[in-house]
Amino acid sequence: MSAHTHEADTLPLEPEKATLEGKNKVLGFWLFLGGEMVLFGTLFAAYIALRNQIPDGPTPQELFKLSTVAWATMILLTSSLTSVFAMMAMHRHDLKMMLIWLGVTVALGLGFLGLEIYEFYEYVHEGHGFTTNAFSTSFYTLVGFHGGHVAFGILWITLLIIQGTRKGLTVVTAPKFYVASLYWHFIDVVWVFIFTVVYLMGKVGP
Amino acid sequence: MSTHETTSPSKRHKHPSPANHYYSYIASILLTMIAFLLVMYGGLDKTFLYGFLLFMALIQVTLQLAYWMHMKEKGHLFPIIGIIFGGIVALTAVAAAVFWMWW
Repeated sequence: MSAHTHEADTLPLEPEKATLEGKNKVLGFWLFLGGEMVLFGTLFAAYIALRNQIPDGPTPQELFKLSTVAWATMILLTSSLTSVFAMMAMHRHDLKMMLIWLGVTVALGLGFLGLEIYEFYEYVHEGHGFTTNAFSTSFYTLVGFHGGHVAFGILWITLLIIQGTRKGLTVVTAPKFYVASLYWHFIDVVWVFIFTVVYLMGKVGP
Repeated sequence: MSTHETTSPSKRHKHPSPANHYYSYIASILLTMIAFLLVMYGGLDKTFLYGFLLFMALIQVTLQLAYWMHMKEKGHLFPIIGIIFGGIVALTAVAAAVFWMWW
C-alpha cells in the first residue's frame, strides 16, 4: 500500500475541522473577517461621505466604464466558484484536483487584478489622480484596499499550492486551505458591495 | 491517534449537494447582470434604483455567505455572531456617513 492511499484512507471526513487547532483556526478566521468588515465598512463610509466632493476632475458618470467593471465582476465571481470546487475536491480527499482548482482561482485573481491596474491607469490619464479631489482619494483608497486584498490572496494561495505539493493533504494543512478559501469568498463579497455602491450608484448619479 | 478515527470512507455525503453551489453561482450571475443592465439601459427613478441595487447586492451576498462560505451548515453560531458584530460596526459607520451627508 502506497503512502498516498494510506493517507487518503485515514484522513477524516472534514480534515479542516478534525482537530481542535483546526477548529480554532477557522473560528479565529471568522472573527478576523468580522474585523475586515469593520475596515471596509469605514472605507465605504468615507467614500459615501466624500463622493460628491469634486471641485475639479472627472465625475463618476464621466469616468466609470461599466463594461470593464462587468468583466472584472464576472472573473472574480467565477474565481469564487472555483475555490468552492477546490474545497469540494478537498472533501473528496483529492489533492491533485484541489491544487488545480486553487491554481485556476489564482489565475482568475490575476486576471481581475490586471483589469483593475489597467482601469486605474486609464483613470489617472483622464485626470483622476489620487490627490485630485476628495472623491478620487476615497475612491482609490476603498477600491485599492480591495485590490490589495486580492493581491495578498493571490500570493497566499500560491504559497499554499507550493506547500500542498510538498506536504499533501493532512489535518494540519487542510485548515489552511479552508481558511484561504473563506478569505477569497470574502473578497468577492466585498466586491459585490463595491460594484453596487461605487460603480453602479456612481453611474446612476448623486 | 484519536483525530484519525473519526470517519469511514463510506459516509462521505454529509456535505450538501454541489447543486446549491451552482444555483448560488447562477443566481449571482443573473443578479449581477440585471443590476448592470438596469443601470446601463434603464431610465428608472434614482431612489428606486438605489434601493433595488442594494436589495440585489444583499441577496447575492447572503447566498454566498450561506452556501459558499458554509454558514448554513452546523456549528457556525460563533462565526455568525462575529460577522454580525462586524456588520453592526460597519453599518453604523455607513449610516453615520449617509446621515451626515443627506440630512
